[in-house]
Amino acid sequence: MTTRATRAQRRRTAVALAVILMVLGAFVFRLVDIQVVHADDHVAEGVNTGNLGSTQVIAGARGDITDSDGTVLASSVLVYDAELSPRLIREFEEQTDEKKKPKLAWHEASERIADVVGIDVDDLRDKVSKRIEQDPNSQYLALATGLSTEQYLELRDLKTDDGLAYIAMKPRSVRVYPNGAVAGSALGFLDGSGKPLYGVELMDNACLSAKNGEMTYLRGQGGVKIPGSEQITPATDGGTVQLTINSDLNWYLQQMIAEEAKKQGAKAGSVTVVDVKTGKIRAMAEYPSLDPNDVNSVDDDYWRSQIFSYWFEPGSTFKPVTAASVINEGAATPLTSVTAPDHKKFPNGAVVNDPFKHPTYRYTFAGALIDSSNVSLSQFGTMISPEKRYDYLKKFGVAEKTAVGFPEELTGLIRDPKTWGPQDLYTTTFGQAFTVTPAQIAGAYQTLANGGEKLDLSLIESCTTSDGTVIKPDPPKSERVVTEETAKTVQRMLENVAVQGGLAKTIEVPGYRIGIKTGTAQTPDGKGGYKKGVYFTNMAGIAPIEDPQFVVLVTLDEPTRIRNSGATAAAFQKAMTQVLKTYRVAPSSQPMDELLPKFD
Amino acid sequence: MSVQTARVQPQPQPQRTEPRRQLTPVTAPAAKRRPRLAYAALAIGAAQMGISLATTQDAFVLADLNIQQHELGLQKQALHENLVGISSPQSLAVKADAMGLVVAGSASYLRLSDGKVLGTSEGGNWASTVDPNGATKVGNALLAPPPPTAAEKKAAEDAAAKRDEAAAGAVEPAGPPVITDGLPTPTTR
Repeated sequence: MTTRATRAQRRRTAVALAVILMVLGAFVFRLVDIQVVHADDHVAEGVNTGNLGSTQVIAGARGDITDSDGTVLASSVLVYDAELSPRLIREFEEQTDEKKKPKLAWHEASERIADVVGIDVDDLRDKVSKRIEQDPNSQYLALATGLSTEQYLELRDLKTDDGLAYIAMKPRSVRVYPNGAVAGSALGFLDGSGKPLYGVELMDNACLSAKNGEMTYLRGQGGVKIPGSEQITPATDGGTVQLTINSDLNWYLQQMIAEEAKKQGAKAGSVTVVDVKTGKIRAMAEYPSLDPNDVNSVDDDYWRSQIFSYWFEPGSTFKPVTAASVINEGAATPLTSVTAPDHKKFPNGAVVNDPFKHPTYRYTFAGALIDSSNVSLSQFGTMISPEKRYDYLKKFGVAEKTAVGFPEELTGLIRDPKTWGPQDLYTTTFGQAFTVTPAQIAGAYQTLANGGEKLDLSLIESCTTSDGTVIKPDPPKSERVVTEETAKTVQRMLENVAVQGGLAKTIEVPGYRIGIKTGTAQTPDGKGGYKKGVYFTNMAGIAPIEDPQFVVLVTLDEPTRIRNSGATAAAFQKAMTQVLKTYRVAPSSQPMDELLPKFD
Repeated sequence: MSVQTARVQPQPQPQRTEPRRQLTPVTAPAAKRRPRLAYAALAIGAAQMGISLATTQDAFVLADLNIQQHELGLQKQALHENLVGISSPQSLAVKADAMGLVVAGSASYLRLSDGKVLGTSEGGNWASTVDPNGATKVGNALLAPPPPTAAEKKAAEDAAAKRDEAAAGAVEPAGPPVITDGLPTPTTR
């Protein structure tokens, strides 16, 4: 029963409660006002004054380039740039309170730092004291750039353990090519700011380049990160590009062609290896070879790949292409013969010479290839119309860029047959009056080796993105250029060149049947004529002939010891042997067919 | 009788029948009503605090592990950098050549089914088809020795200067006298 006493007590309680509730209500109201109603304004204000949120860029790493076996040929690493703060050094030295000084005095610390970084300690002390004299409040003195992770860790230990707070280190991403010059011209290189300039680095930049991420977080007083306030957009690393190149084979061929070029006194050389059945480029070896770690070590002329960016009139190496064109049209067979002096003047006024003096022979088509007789080829070649020959040359890849899409790749040139003069009519049968790159020659021989079916050349095996998706390029386009029978006939003629030709002993690869063709091309002297006495020599070969698997093209630019394509013989033999060994190609079990007659 | 006396005399109270009270002994105390709501609220509050504690504790553990991972990553990078360059084909070939290994010519193959040897019948000889230690090494800037520091350069210069001094100051040993007039003949009487 509520007495007056209890009523009064209750009233007091109720009043007290009401006051408390009112105060609480005021707080709640204010909180709602701040956190809900005016929330955006306050956040914006905080962000504007710069103290609230902070954004950090998370750098993504550029993708690696590997060879066909997964050996890393190019990768991105972090190096560190170290700097000192002269002002802090000065302040620490002038500091009298032992507790506020670092554990090592500058004298000893400078020795340790110079030791880690690899510079002269007196030099370092000089520089620091000079800078302190110039500007006692200077906060920046560059110490060293490009420090490795090991050096970074040692300096960091000095900084944290011994209190050397005046060392600062910034990470920087650089591109490293662990295998140096091996396949250097295929890899390409970047400029100082990380932009690709050449090679696969440029060609496949879409796969290799990374996307930077972002981390935004809110900061409280003192710059402390407020937990739970982070928002991270992760960085996407670049993908890994796998090349079709075999880096060990590439190293061997680079070493070998460098030695051969030196032996023969040549300016430059190259070896290209193409897998016949797939069109994949298995090796791109060049001399002088570009080392992407040190681009300036090579002369300006040679930082571009010779295989894709050097054109020349191929010479006799294209005689088998003429043979294939003529035989495919049914105009001749390997046994068809013509009368060939060593020097012939044709009715339209053109003059053609053979590479060596000989009495008038009746060369068969096979014999014409074996002795590389220009006069015979001129007669065989003109058994079909120039338009047909032009079409075949175009189908074999002349004046068409290869499907590789290599940067700075040259197209080569061949003029419309209607504009061919009397000399061009004949010289186009033996590889002159049009220009090709070594890659195009390799492509033409791939066609002959693959039963007449041309496959696109390719350099890229796959691109694996950072989340593991493997993207393979489209399968190579194929085009039938000549019939399989024609191809087999021309292969047999090439084998006869290898066995009956003048270089037979030098190029023999024990255990295997191979087919080759040499070429000695004249190089322009820049004044409208050709250089005298020096040539661009090349040799193309296919092995094994009974089931061709590899095409090898060796070039030597202006050899001086042996001045014709004989200079490439030893290099070719070593290259072909190594290629067949690398891929464990089964030795030839079927003996060679009957030798084709050279003369009639 | 006066009204006052009437008032003094107690009025007969009306008889109120009271219900008969049942007296029963108390066997057990009446169960207190549990404040279930309070308990529930307390339990929820405690659970929340516990979870929050666990989460924040894990956050510290996570931060710790992250730091460890970062450290190990740096160490792995440092070790990896030691290997870069050394595993390149050039470096391996140079070392192999120094040990006497050669790259020979064509290989022979042994067919296991019948033991027949295919390919070239000549065995490998000791002539290498390449010379990795020769003048034309395939380059690798990562293998090049670091440029000499200023101290090393100075030491090299000093050493060279000393050698020149020694060479200049060395007294040539007296050679035999130069013969211009034929061999000396003893004069005899």
